[in-house]
Amino acid sequence: MAALRTSPIFTALEAHSPEWGEHAGMRVALRLRDENAAKADTLALTDVSSLVRTGLKGPGAVQWLEGQGVPVPQGFNRWLPLPEGGLVARLARTEFLIEDGWAGGPVVRLAAALRTTVPGVYPVPRQDCAIDICGANAPDLFAETCTVPFALDPLEARIVTLTTMVGVGVTVLRHDVQGRPCWRVWCDGTSGPYLWETLTSIAAEHGGGPMGVRVLHGDISQPVAGTQGGRP
Amino acid sequence: MKLLCCPVNGLRPVSEFAYGGEVRAMPDPATCSDDQWADHVFNRSGIPGVKIEWWYHLPSGVWFHAERDVVADRVLRTWMPGEEAAP
Repeated sequence: MAALRTSPIFTALEAHSPEWGEHAGMRVALRLRDENAAKADTLALTDVSSLVRTGLKGPGAVQWLEGQGVPVPQGFNRWLPLPEGGLVARLARTEFLIEDGWAGGPVVRLAAALRTTVPGVYPVPRQDCAIDICGANAPDLFAETCTVPFALDPLEARIVTLTTMVGVGVTVLRHDVQGRPCWRVWCDGTSGPYLWETLTSIAAEHGGGPMGVRVLHGDISQPVAGTQGGRP
Repeated sequence: MKLLCCPVNGLRPVSEFAYGGEVRAMPDPATCSDDQWADHVFNRSGIPGVKIEWWYHLPSGVWFHAERDVVADRVLRTWMPGEEAAP
């Protein structure tokens, strides 16, 4: 079956002749033809836009989430991992971003529940571009592209930073993967290609580059037949 | 680099913010005269001094108040609407 969704940076990834897989109805680049997996410890950028996510806001958002069994981060701009997989991030005061993990999570259930009108709770559909940036040189990339030194925040503080990166409004949090320091960056999908192209070009100067999801996240999908190195 | 302190997100470069104008009381459109309404819609105070303004943090969508000396372009304090101003 053809994928129903397309990553905002599909075209940029296609230039790397990837081996495609499929996750949550979206083609994902499992492995790029020109990637050097050995650089993952140095600096790697991976498209994770296929992870499903939703959002909500409003004065009743905290109470509604608690009623749905979702843990609510205490304090503004904090996040928590979800027991079902994925994460919940509190953006400023009464807005939340909920994203599934690779193995699933509560997003589909919550999005369905949000279709029912609840006083003081407003759904915020999310079709973000999401990028994982990992490696020892990631802080150098951030220092060059962003004025807020969020890379200095300790992992255990689970801080969410809303700022701009190369002029694009982004939401950033640190969630280490397989012992590697890793930051997840979300931006509006329409800004995704610009953010991706700019960050990957600067990452090359720091010894890194784009990679498929397999390097960071393992076998999240089987390859789609006939896409090993060509158009899907 | 000019910095501005968002009450929610902390100290940020001013490029992350948008100016929303001076905080002004709106006349009751049901009872005010046309002249009063036109004055509210079209006219702004250009008097120099310390003013209370609306500012918007673009990445997070937070609107807040800032007390700013518009002569020196120095922000004295910022706070969330409806809350006590930070000292």
